[in-house]
Amino acid sequence: MPGSARRGTHTTLALLAAATLALAGCGSNAEDNAAAAGTAATADGSAAATLTVDASLVVKTLDPGQVYEPTGNVLVHALYDTLVTFDGADISKPVPSLAKSYTAADDGKKFTFELNPDAVFADGTPVTSADVVFSLNRLKNLKGSASPIVKDLSVDAPDPHTVVVTSSTLNPNVPTILAEPYAGILNSKLAKENGGTDAADASSTDKLTNYLNTNAAGSGPYLIESFDAASRIVLKANPKYWGTAPKFGRVVFQNMDVQNQKLTMSKLPQNELALDLAGDALTGLPKELQQSGSADSYYQLRLQNDPAVSKVTSNADWVAALQAAIDYQGVAALFGPAGKPAAGIVPTAYAGSLPESEAQKQDLPKAKELLAKSGVGDQSVKLLYPAITFGGVDLGTIAAKVQSDAEKAGIKIELDPAPIASFLDQRKGGKVPFSFSPQLLDYPVAASIVADLMPGGHTAEAAGWTAERADKETVAAAEKVLSARDSADQVEALHDWQRLMINNSPYITLVYNSTTVVAGPNLKDAVFSAAGWTVDVADIGTN
Amino acid sequence: MSETATPAASLPDDPGTLIDPDGDRPAARSGRSRSLLRFIVKKLLTTIGLLFGVTVLTFLLVQAVPGDPSTTNLTEAAQQDPEIVAAYKAKWGLDKPLPVQYLTYLNNLLHGDLGTSQSTGNSILSDLAKYVPATIELAIPAMVLSLLISIGLGMWAAVRKDRAADHTIRAGALIGLSTPSFWLAIVALYIFFYVLGIAPNGGRLSTKFRPPQDITGMYTVDALLTGRPLVFWDALWHLALPVLVLTSLTVSILIRFVRSAMLEVLDQDYVKAAYAKGLPRFTVLRRHVLRAGLVQVVTVGGLAFASLLSGTVLIEQIYSWPGIGQYAYLAALNLDLPAIMGVGLFVALVYILVNLLIDVLYGIIDPRIRVS
Repeated sequence: MPGSARRGTHTTLALLAAATLALAGCGSNAEDNAAAAGTAATADGSAAATLTVDASLVVKTLDPGQVYEPTGNVLVHALYDTLVTFDGADISKPVPSLAKSYTAADDGKKFTFELNPDAVFADGTPVTSADVVFSLNRLKNLKGSASPIVKDLSVDAPDPHTVVVTSSTLNPNVPTILAEPYAGILNSKLAKENGGTDAADASSTDKLTNYLNTNAAGSGPYLIESFDAASRIVLKANPKYWGTAPKFGRVVFQNMDVQNQKLTMSKLPQNELALDLAGDALTGLPKELQQSGSADSYYQLRLQNDPAVSKVTSNADWVAALQAAIDYQGVAALFGPAGKPAAGIVPTAYAGSLPESEAQKQDLPKAKELLAKSGVGDQSVKLLYPAITFGGVDLGTIAAKVQSDAEKAGIKIELDPAPIASFLDQRKGGKVPFSFSPQLLDYPVAASIVADLMPGGHTAEAAGWTAERADKETVAAAEKVLSARDSADQVEALHDWQRLMINNSPYITLVYNSTTVVAGPNLKDAVFSAAGWTVDVADIGTN
Repeated sequence: MSETATPAASLPDDPGTLIDPDGDRPAARSGRSRSLLRFIVKKLLTTIGLLFGVTVLTFLLVQAVPGDPSTTNLTEAAQQDPEIVAAYKAKWGLDKPLPVQYLTYLNNLLHGDLGTSQSTGNSILSDLAKYVPATIELAIPAMVLSLLISIGLGMWAAVRKDRAADHTIRAGALIGLSTPSFWLAIVALYIFFYVLGIAPNGGRLSTKFRPPQDITGMYTVDALLTGRPLVFWDALWHLALPVLVLTSLTVSILIRFVRSAMLEVLDQDYVKAAYAKGLPRFTVLRRHVLRAGLVQVVTVGGLAFASLLSGTVLIEQIYSWPGIGQYAYLAALNLDLPAIMGVGLFVALVYILVNLLIDVLYGIIDPRIRVS
């Protein structure tokens, strides 16, 4: 290239660079200036203080009919009101939301909800019983992850302000089910205009989900500003919210891995909270931070009860030997301050859990004696588990601890880690002798796990635990839980059932673990709720 | 001048003109352009065949992975309900035989439809259009910085062979190569964000700012184009740490190749003759050594660039950077077949195009290759 041409290129590049810098330095944008100064305002002129929620975003959609992931539940709860809800961390009884009151019929199957006439959607349209019928029927007919929970429910609208929900089986927990994010009520007119349907073939004909990922069609305290599940999801306050206005005008859910969340919270940020700190990540945090949590998950070993699949795990003495061999306190210690040795099955966040004094304990002499009685000898069995970190702990660490404890009693276990997809696929086939996984409740009532774990339930079926193989007294105790209409009776029945399950079931519950909300020092009411939405961002304010 | 003439055949003041075997005759230039065009067209046609092969391979590999998309996308209770599982499979076409699934995919692909993601519900094309620019925004500055640093240090190490500077640079490169990328990313975050407080904690933009209007998908560029200087500086601030980490990793790879390529050229007679002629060292290095040594560097640099463009999963994960690496990771985690296929096609296309670019650059840097 001739020298003059080269000099020309250099000059052009220099001019371009200078122009770029000039543009970057000299331009202005009023909104950005206000944001930088912390004085941004919403469209209606109200203060738009931003609350930042750090989380490893696990959300595929903001459609209540399809949502089931943890972050999705937090978001959908902020976007959609439900008939009833829970107040803060108290999950003992549903309280009014869109329904100002409800009554339960004596048969324990029929529930009548009276809608609050003040309730309006974000576009100002009143919430009617037709919207409720549409939303719940759509939820059922979409055949998504939450559909099995409402499968037995039918919904009627005798008048515009009354909704009748009927369960085909006795189910005193219907109001609790209807408080969950998946039961969020949609503006049916808006939904239909954008491809929504509640018809029986909604699983193939409904086209609403994509619309709902960027536009809220509910009556909740927030609306969607932007949605990017891999980066950030931004909510803005609903200017026409019919209830108490949220304290923060804007909430940014920021995708962030756990280590980063810990570093961020350790700097004591203002108006910020983290949702995924668990296990060892909770240790060493500054004491100025607020921590709120409750044991809402349980970690359980599942042993195949069908001798045709495994003669070892179907041997009751071998199972009892393993149960006695485990150091429950030691397993709990792996979860850091949030871990608790299991007493029964129900985690302590829910009514019906057994007292801590009944926590299981290691008894190696008994384990050795039972192993000898079983006649299994040193036959080994493979322990299948998902090779993931859950609740802040690598599940491989827990599996290795079980293996090592069992070894002390002479029980041979081989570890069999698998990718999560492979683990789920293998386990649902009902041919896995021995497996381990964390478990959460579908909705915040302990009775919800009873039917699943007992013969006839999905988990029991996968474990080969049939009615013929089950202990009659344990089955009767489970039936008593499911038929209880009074919550105090149900708690009592749950205690009896769990005490029987310890000795008469193919499950060994190891430990309970907590989800913990870690909030900056200036926030108030950033409390963990075991209701299903982790934290209610609309409740959070500043000191 | 023969077609096999080496640059050593003459010692010009401006070797770039004399090593051109065809000179600057218009007819020769036109012939070169035609042959280059033929070369590019031929390569692009080969690309179609390669991409077809990629779709077959990716499809078969995904089928070989144990697990069913319905198990990862439905709750355990829903998986036990045959009606729900059947509805899920029907919705995503998973109820059809594998050859039918593949042919349907191929038919849609030929019509420009890469399918719909089972995880995001969006078309794969729109997902790629969203995630790829974020990765490009990381990859380009990281590559430019890497080339500048590795060429500078690599040449210095070659010139100072077996002296302290050479040993230090080689040791540094070795340490860089042996350092796990995720570890370096976490340590950098700890030091620059937590300890020094001069870097952000990840993401592309501070939460107080709204992203710029989507024009190119690259926040820095879009902020400039829409006249939002504060957002530009904020986006640049967020870009700095992941770019520096990626740069340090890429430099570690490139520097050894640059050094070895330059050592080879430095040993050539025409370089010694240039020194003997009394040309300043900088002129010799820039005009004779650098240009000849770049051929090897372009190959490795091109592949490093393709690797950066294909997404760096761990770096994107640690810095919460919503690029193609994160998208690929989520697709794999959810057994999202259309997304996995889409990412596979994109990565294949990147490597094919980068290789094509490398071939073209060879011709530009070294006319002997163009002629042959």
